[in-house]
Amino acid sequence: MKRGLFVIVVLFLLLAGCAAKEEQTSGPIEEMAEGHGHGDVKITKHFDESLTLLTDNNLFSLEMVVPGKQLSMGVNTIEIIVHHATGGDVPQAELTVTPWMPSMGHGVMQKTVVTERGGGLYSVNNVVLSMTGHWQLQVKVVKGDKEDTAVFEFPEVKAMGHEHAMMHAPPPKDLDYSTVKTTPNDAFNVMYKSIGGQIRMNRIHSWELTIKDAAGQPVNDAMVTVVGDMPEHGHGLPTQPEITKVGADGLYRVDGMKFTMPGWWIVTISVMANGMHDSVSFNLNIL
Amino acid sequence: MQNYLIRTIRPTAAASFLLIIVGLIFSGQALSMDQHTWSEQEKAIIRSLSIEALGPLPVDPSNRYSDNPQAAALGKKLFFEDHFSGNMKVSCATCHREDYTFTDNLPLSHGMDTTPRRSMPLIGVAYNSWFFWDGRSDSLWSQALGPIENKLEHGISRTMSAYIISKFYRKEYEELFGPLPDFMEETFPQHARPALDDPDALKAWVLMTPEQREVVNRIYVNMGKSIAAFVRTIMPQPSPFDRYVKQILSGENISSRMALNNDETAGLRLFVGKAKCTNCHNGPLFTNSDFHNIGLPQKVKGEPDKGRAAAITQVLSSEFNCLGQYSDAHPNECPELRFIDTSHKKYVGAFKTPTLRNVAERPPYMHAGQLATLREVLEFYRSQAQNPELSHGNLTDKELDQLEAFLHALSSPITSFQADSK
Repeated sequence: MKRGLFVIVVLFLLLAGCAAKEEQTSGPIEEMAEGHGHGDVKITKHFDESLTLLTDNNLFSLEMVVPGKQLSMGVNTIEIIVHHATGGDVPQAELTVTPWMPSMGHGVMQKTVVTERGGGLYSVNNVVLSMTGHWQLQVKVVKGDKEDTAVFEFPEVKAMGHEHAMMHAPPPKDLDYSTVKTTPNDAFNVMYKSIGGQIRMNRIHSWELTIKDAAGQPVNDAMVTVVGDMPEHGHGLPTQPEITKVGADGLYRVDGMKFTMPGWWIVTISVMANGMHDSVSFNLNIL
Repeated sequence: MQNYLIRTIRPTAAASFLLIIVGLIFSGQALSMDQHTWSEQEKAIIRSLSIEALGPLPVDPSNRYSDNPQAAALGKKLFFEDHFSGNMKVSCATCHREDYTFTDNLPLSHGMDTTPRRSMPLIGVAYNSWFFWDGRSDSLWSQALGPIENKLEHGISRTMSAYIISKFYRKEYEELFGPLPDFMEETFPQHARPALDDPDALKAWVLMTPEQREVVNRIYVNMGKSIAAFVRTIMPQPSPFDRYVKQILSGENISSRMALNNDETAGLRLFVGKAKCTNCHNGPLFTNSDFHNIGLPQKVKGEPDKGRAAAITQVLSSEFNCLGQYSDAHPNECPELRFIDTSHKKYVGAFKTPTLRNVAERPPYMHAGQLATLREVLEFYRSQAQNPELSHGNLTDKELDQLEAFLHALSSPITSFQADSK
């Protein structure tokens, strides 16, 4: 889907020529980029659903594509298109993306991974947000002797799955309750097990995860996040579980799991290892 | 044609009449059978609500005296002791009245002055993970210490508490906890506590030596642990609902013999089904012990009550929490504190789900007594149908009647530690 979109964008660039900024009748939307300084500049957006921002010294304009327009607690992937402030894409720039929590005055341990995809498009992987709340993504662009920064604001980062959660979704029929699943991009195979047998409501308990890669080899050094969500009620776990690497056999221990409502729960496990990240959701029926 | 019909029917009229009578009898029976027929899933939920599913009193690893009868005996006396107050009139029992299911009948409790919240019911409280409406304590003993130093409640200090213990309870205390020092004004100030709302008491506290503060804290903590040993014995007994569970699990279904009447049974069916009350009111004490903002109107003027959101840092920073030096627990035995959800925003205005056992016996309701009757509570929930957290279905007036009837069937006598009992 994303690749398709990308192909369309590239085709469009080839056909229309990216510098042709007057060309605005079809597809891309022209709008004022939100800038900090004066003299806002018009840019041609490549994606309808993107956020745009002018860098602090008006050197570049940035287009950020965030799935669902909202970052979530956990591991995120975004895409950034760098334009010259006057239009035209900026390939072969050095991009640094830093998550920052202004109210706490801290960032995160995990470094983001930026990969240039050509035509001024950059993928930013491993954007790890360690908690919910107000986050910023500070983007620094260096191209030749030009350097500039912009700060994208995400005032309300929520636990994963909340945008659908608030819709008060009833459980679909024939829910898959399996405890072993392969992540959607086939990067990992994840199995969970409740230590001590059947999960009992209102009890703090532990899980054991087994994570393997696509070749079936155990993954022992992954960054794992666990987020619980109740789609029918729009809230998550009443606890903050902790994940410990066992260090062998692809095993991880999750302590502090607790469910305080009966019914349909979704537990999403995100795995970041070997330069890849992928996440998988398990359905649970808590009685 | 019509004639023909009449004619053909007439010979069978008597039989039809008989059939109708028989049908009525059967449908009557079917009705009563349906009334008390539950699916396996429903039975499983109903069984999980029964007092028989409660299990023994949970061990409190942070209080090694929690099951000590001597401590409970002392704790019971302290619970009813008026000396523990600025005006010598307020005890724990002032707001937790034994004759009112260990709570009181006021919307906002009144100790030395009016507090911002309602008194909590104490029955089955030992099974909770968090204490107070906002869970700012993680043990019953640390909870018991909060009101003593609260200006609106008992309004005294931990040093004064030590004075009172040494004067009136020296023998019992020393038998349990070892020797007490002499408390004299030259050595220990009478009103000293680490409080931010009382500069004089704070100054007096700071001027004490670290050893003196430790002596006072120990006595104060032991007092809390004794009170907790008593309070944890305050338990509900089997209610008509619990007797009904036994009946349906043993296959009994004769209406006239059932412990719940038709309305109460219909209420139970709504409670576990359409009205989804068990989302939060689950388990044998009808509570998940968790915190929820249900959109109640603000009762007290002034700053909105932040509820759980404000309590998270309080319990984490409390010197009397499960991980503190006065706790008897190994750090591994404090999972609730270790895994506490610190997402403060999620809990703004959230309060603990209270038990529903004996709920009909203790109006008014909600954390600040906002609602005067059970009926008002049910009406309130019905009005919140748009809130996904509180969606209780489109309940009719009749269904509210039935739910109310069922809630009355959760009442039972209450037992608590008696000095001569074990």
